[in-house]
Amino acid sequence: MVDAARHPKITVKTYTNVERVEGYVGNFKVQLREKARYVRADRCNGCGECAKACPVEVPNYFEMNLAPRKAAYVPMSQSVPLLYTIDMDACIHCYKCVDACGALDAIDFSQEDKIEWEDVGSVVVATGFNHFDPSVIPEYGYSQYPNVITAMEMERLNNSAGPTTGNLIRPSDGLNPKRVAIINCVGSRDKRFNPWCSNFCCMYAIKNAILLKQANPDIDLSIYYIDIRTPSKGYEEFYDRAREMGIHFIQGRPSLISEDPLTRNLYIHSEDQALGKVIEKEYDMVMLNQAAVPQPDVDTVSSILNISQSPGGWFMEYHPKLRPVDSPTDGIFLAGACQGQKDIPASVSSGLACASRAGRILHSDEWQIEPIIAQVWEDRCVSAEGKQCGVCAKACPYGAITVEKGTAALITTAKCHGCGGCVAECPHNAITQMHYTDAQILAQIRALLAEKPEEKIFAFRCQWCSYGGADLAGTSHFDYSSNERGIRVMCSARMDSDFIYEAFRLGAGAVMYSGCHPQDCHYITGQRVGAVRADRLLKTLEKLGMSDGRFRIEWISAAEGDKYSRVINEMQQTINDIGMQQILAENAAMRPELEKRSRRMYEVPMVPEASTYSDKMVIAMSVKEVKDGK
Amino acid sequence: MESERPLTFADEVRAVPGGEHLDRCYSCGTCVSRCLIQQKLEPDYNPRRLLRMVMLEMREEAFQSPTTWLCSACDLCYSACPQEIHISSVINAVKHLAVKAGYKPVIQSAKVNAQTCVGCGLCEQACPYEAITLEKTNVPFRGKELTIAQVNAEKCMACGLCASVCRSTSIELSTAAPSEEFIEDIHSWMMKQRREVAA
Repeated sequence: MVDAARHPKITVKTYTNVERVEGYVGNFKVQLREKARYVRADRCNGCGECAKACPVEVPNYFEMNLAPRKAAYVPMSQSVPLLYTIDMDACIHCYKCVDACGALDAIDFSQEDKIEWEDVGSVVVATGFNHFDPSVIPEYGYSQYPNVITAMEMERLNNSAGPTTGNLIRPSDGLNPKRVAIINCVGSRDKRFNPWCSNFCCMYAIKNAILLKQANPDIDLSIYYIDIRTPSKGYEEFYDRAREMGIHFIQGRPSLISEDPLTRNLYIHSEDQALGKVIEKEYDMVMLNQAAVPQPDVDTVSSILNISQSPGGWFMEYHPKLRPVDSPTDGIFLAGACQGQKDIPASVSSGLACASRAGRILHSDEWQIEPIIAQVWEDRCVSAEGKQCGVCAKACPYGAITVEKGTAALITTAKCHGCGGCVAECPHNAITQMHYTDAQILAQIRALLAEKPEEKIFAFRCQWCSYGGADLAGTSHFDYSSNERGIRVMCSARMDSDFIYEAFRLGAGAVMYSGCHPQDCHYITGQRVGAVRADRLLKTLEKLGMSDGRFRIEWISAAEGDKYSRVINEMQQTINDIGMQQILAENAAMRPELEKRSRRMYEVPMVPEASTYSDKMVIAMSVKEVKDGK
Repeated sequence: MESERPLTFADEVRAVPGGEHLDRCYSCGTCVSRCLIQQKLEPDYNPRRLLRMVMLEMREEAFQSPTTWLCSACDLCYSACPQEIHISSVINAVKHLAVKAGYKPVIQSAKVNAQTCVGCGLCEQACPYEAITLEKTNVPFRGKELTIAQVNAEKCMACGLCASVCRSTSIELSTAAPSEEFIEDIHSWMMKQRREVAA
């Protein structure tokens, strides 16, 4: 840290919040709020005279509130940069610190928050994790029994730089505990609080137990666990060492801690599964090994940076295996435990990976993206005519579209990932997607429904999930109806209502609208855009008199080949049950309305040409007819 | 495609309402050390082990296990279970299958005296296990058919609440009352708990 602060090309800004991030990969603009320290950074030399003079004492968060600090303070003695800060919530304005500072004149009560903008090429998020507050678990009695402490409190009590200078004492009477228990999985692997395994706590419990045992050889130590997970190199050997040192490992999750009100000793009730008995053991002190949870302000950070969150609140990586440190927004990277529960080696490796990913951007003049991007036809965009619209900007998961009245919607190409949500949402067909234009997709629909459309099951599949599912169904030789005809688009967000209307207008027997499961979407919220539209479409089609089951919405992952074949077979069964006569009759009844609805399509450039793709195609209208208003 | 396989014991338990969360159990043992019946009555009582028996197809062992028959559905374990399994429901599902297979509950259920029961329904409302229902008889009574209380032996836990609310003293429990020592034991345990809460 000291090296980083001294490096000529590194600026360390502490006590500073990121408030806004604008721009795109390589060209971010970041708004920073440097909070007022009431101490001038250019004059303070970190001597600490102000803290000595300060008469106010408040709990020290760094010491887990086990020790006091002054209102003029540094968070910890190794702070970088070593600058004192005055805590205005606690300060009583006695100005003793000003006198103590003397000729240095570093204290400045008139300081205000400084807001500045910085140009940066990439952003690395390393906001870390928080620890779970075990006082919400009633049966463990934390905050009720003084001798039940958390892992972080133990960390300070057992630290030579801590409030007790490493002398392990119990909070109730200050005596050295002789019997200490460590309880694992407090708040983790617990559906009532956090369903995840916090990854590092088994090793952490063993580390603490070994440290305690080394410092106090006659101490009796037990670790209560559900499963001990020591999967990395050298970890199991460490576990072996702990057992050889005489630390007891008890398999059984304690169900209750009760306290002797006189001695303040604690009784742990648990099953010992190795014994097959319920045991009740007495301890002087109990340490709760809490779960790792996301920081309390993850929602704010994720909305500032426009990065999505996994279930539970951890930041979502682009791909869990292949791009583990990239966020879905290009140029923003995730280091350490903000992305998920990580121990120190894993956090360091992800930090190093982030540095090299970020360096890649900073060292190149050009940035390559996929060619599948959205483009605006400026003369068709109603925003250019001064009308209120902005539908495209709402649909974009990446915030790549800016809409201002008077000018056409502007797509920042470097931010566009090519889901096509804006293309399908635009009510005026003013946006197109390269390589997946309306004309190309319509031509595919028409070609596939050219013959006996009423027998066909037409499947719209998204590139990443349901197309993969269909592929897997094929390569796994799962049987499904040969009447299935499918096309690929990038995302379910691209499946324009007009495409579904067109498929039914051409007489399709059934249409499937498929994509990723909501949490798997490769375009952050693309699936949600598609799902909302699909639900609306279903209602519309039902109103037009379509039988149940002819339009089906299914979310199928790339691993669900069996589901794909099952759904197609079920749809075939539905078609058989409804009967060909009924389908033909329904199609004939729906057709006038569908024609009216898909007419707008013909105003899109290239679509009229595409409509003459094949002579055999059943096309009721030509461009001229549309223009004539027939 | 889905293959046809014979139903396992676990499948049968899952099929009974309440038994569906069986597989969530990761054998942490919280329920066992939480259980009052285990502590006060029967050291062999072990819900965790019963769930393992179900998963490992140990049908007869599960039906003969005291856990199947002694659970009073107090749900102390449910509030502490980290996997949110409603354990008493799972046990109840096993009990249901055991009764179907011809096993008899070890607890003597409450008995209704059909001669004196007036069918007021107080006991039905009082029963925490929904073991009492009012059934019609062929006896005419004030222009209608007389209804009297019937006890479902499978559900009855012989707690005695029905007998205590019955105005016509028509319900009796055939089990002997617990010894004074046992009541004293439970009482002192409860007082200890109360003191702890107060402290």
